Amino acid sequence: MRNYQEILDRAADGPYCTEEEWDLERVAMTTRRLVDEHQLAWDPEQVVPNDPALADAVFEAGFKLVQELGGYSRTTERIIEFEPGELEAGIRRMPQQLEMGEGKDLKTVVARDIMDERPPIVWAGNPGVPTPERLFLPMVMSWMQEPIVDLVTCGSLSEVDGREVRTGDPSEIIATRRELQYMRQGLKRVGRPGMGMLGAQSAVSEIGDLAAAHPDYLRECDAHLVPMLNELKMDHRNISKAVNSIEYGMRNASLACVIVGGLGGDAPGSAVVNVASFILANLTCLADYHICHPIDMRHVATTTRRVLWVESIVEQAFARNAPCIIVSDIYPKSGALTPELLYETAANAIAITVNGGHLEGCGSADGVVPNGSGLEARFMGEVGHAVTRQGTSLEEANDLILALLERYEHVFDLPDGNRGVPFDEAYDMERLTPKPAWEQMYEEVKTEVREMGLAEL
Amino acid sequence: MSGEEALIGKIREAIVGGISEDSEQLTREAVDAGIDALVILNDGLMSGADEVGAKFESGEYFLPELMLTGRALKAAMGVVSPILEKTAERTTDTGVVVAATVKTDIHDIGKNMVASMLTASGFEVTDLGVDVPIKDIIAKAQELDADLIACSALLTTSMPFMRDLINLLDAMGERERFKVMVGGASVTPEFAERIGADATAPNAMDAVKAARALIRSGQSGEDS
Repeated sequence: MRNYQEILDRAADGPYCTEEEWDLERVAMTTRRLVDEHQLAWDPEQVVPNDPALADAVFEAGFKLVQELGGYSRTTERIIEFEPGELEAGIRRMPQQLEMGEGKDLKTVVARDIMDERPPIVWAGNPGVPTPERLFLPMVMSWMQEPIVDLVTCGSLSEVDGREVRTGDPSEIIATRRELQYMRQGLKRVGRPGMGMLGAQSAVSEIGDLAAAHPDYLRECDAHLVPMLNELKMDHRNISKAVNSIEYGMRNASLACVIVGGLGGDAPGSAVVNVASFILANLTCLADYHICHPIDMRHVATTTRRVLWVESIVEQAFARNAPCIIVSDIYPKSGALTPELLYETAANAIAITVNGGHLEGCGSADGVVPNGSGLEARFMGEVGHAVTRQGTSLEEANDLILALLERYEHVFDLPDGNRGVPFDEAYDMERLTPKPAWEQMYEEVKTEVREMGLAEL
Repeated sequence: MSGEEALIGKIREAIVGGISEDSEQLTREAVDAGIDALVILNDGLMSGADEVGAKFESGEYFLPELMLTGRALKAAMGVVSPILEKTAERTTDTGVVVAATVKTDIHDIGKNMVASMLTASGFEVTDLGVDVPIKDIIAKAQELDADLIACSALLTTSMPFMRDLINLLDAMGERERFKVMVGGASVTPEFAERIGADATAPNAMDAVKAARALIRSGQSGEDS
């Protein structure tokens, strides 16, 4: 791939295909065949599998999927085809380390291995969660101030100056810039002005992204999202975001939110689609790193058995076959001031850390309401660090997660979810500290998880 | 088991298996054999669709199975619909639906699930895709004389366009003509009520139930 314009050329001139055919005949049916051919299966009691051959088979099937299909441009209704050699070159191009932030706050993010002794990066924040302006700054500061946090992200501003924000509207430009002003202001106030960010979360369309590409907003040392569409699709809106980074130099975080139970079918097929998405994103998103965020079709959260298995096997597949930087999102079902939020966070953080990923979160309460806080981000980091300090094995991680699932899995059957309370009911807004009840819950769960076997916590 | 029961059973199996060729051919055979079209519809096609819905809800089936069943049902309905139209008034609580993800939003999995589930439940669904301007949604609903507009937005910053749609229907004097259902991960019953929608649902199965209830309420409104 000589330059990105070739992607645009292929999107313009590739074979025509309707979207319905792409979804069903190409993605769903090819994935089903590859799952059968490779005899891929999952076990709900083995959410952290310890089967290297399975991880390799998932990778091989994912590579074949993208090799056979390529990607799809929804804008032009054309298939963007790639040669196997181009896909392999894309894998080789993936950074093995990436510097984020600047000055004393600079952090180096590395491609981690399975059961890596190096701790994961703690990338704190509620990525993309709709957040009212009055809560935005105190919320982000609640995790920026946590010493264990390395890098930060944030929600999306849902209103600015009392007016609702609309995608593709001038208000999106205002919201994106306001978000980044708050982020930079927050970092200065906690004494970490050079800390790296994944920002412009309010930029749903390309206009917000374009508006943020300025050193006063997103710096070259920060990251922005270059999302893919479900599944294995791009459009010119998101291609524009990739193009926007070419001269400016922001880090490109590819985001493929594979729907587990969607076009890939059950967990094995969804893992295959996730592998294919990352390989494709190396080229179409110009990815510097990948965000792993499979979504449970029925429950949204990343803490269900199916999603934990997909995250685990995808991270293992890449660690063994195509090492690269994978940052995995934690989107628990539960919200602030519930013990289940902490159990879910612990389970997800254990899985991500032991399989070779970095930690990003938490998008508490399914990420639909601002019911998150810095406390669960702290807990996420503490759990991840404890896993590496302790040298937790895959089997031990699985046992811990099964025990944690017993404590939180009931939330998926609650008709109204388990949303907890908004940030300002969980935190003292003047001191920016957890309210006593939330702090006590955290201490109790931490003790419990320690006694469950994560002794280094 | 009679020959008629065996054939209806095969039709149901074709729907559950999502095999379009079989569902169409077997339905044609059933019609040629003189089996009542309503029996084919209710005991074969809808019964199969209900089974698929139950399998989807229990986690045994996933989106591809749902889409294949929707396709198989559409093929079979192509055979029985003309007969039903000739011989009977509308006898089921289904109707014509225009579905779309609204302007500026490109997320379609949730909308696709609802559209597939509605199709698999016997609704006649026209799916306009994603990022659809509200005036296009309304124009298609007018053109098809739809019963129901089902619109979706995942992004909170796209949700206001669903309110715009309802406001525009009001302004055009067309609000009473169409039932409007809204959906999306961040859409709550409170939001739906606030913008004046007729219904919302947290998942595809409940969306079908809500759509059926809306159709029934429309029919009772016509009767009264």
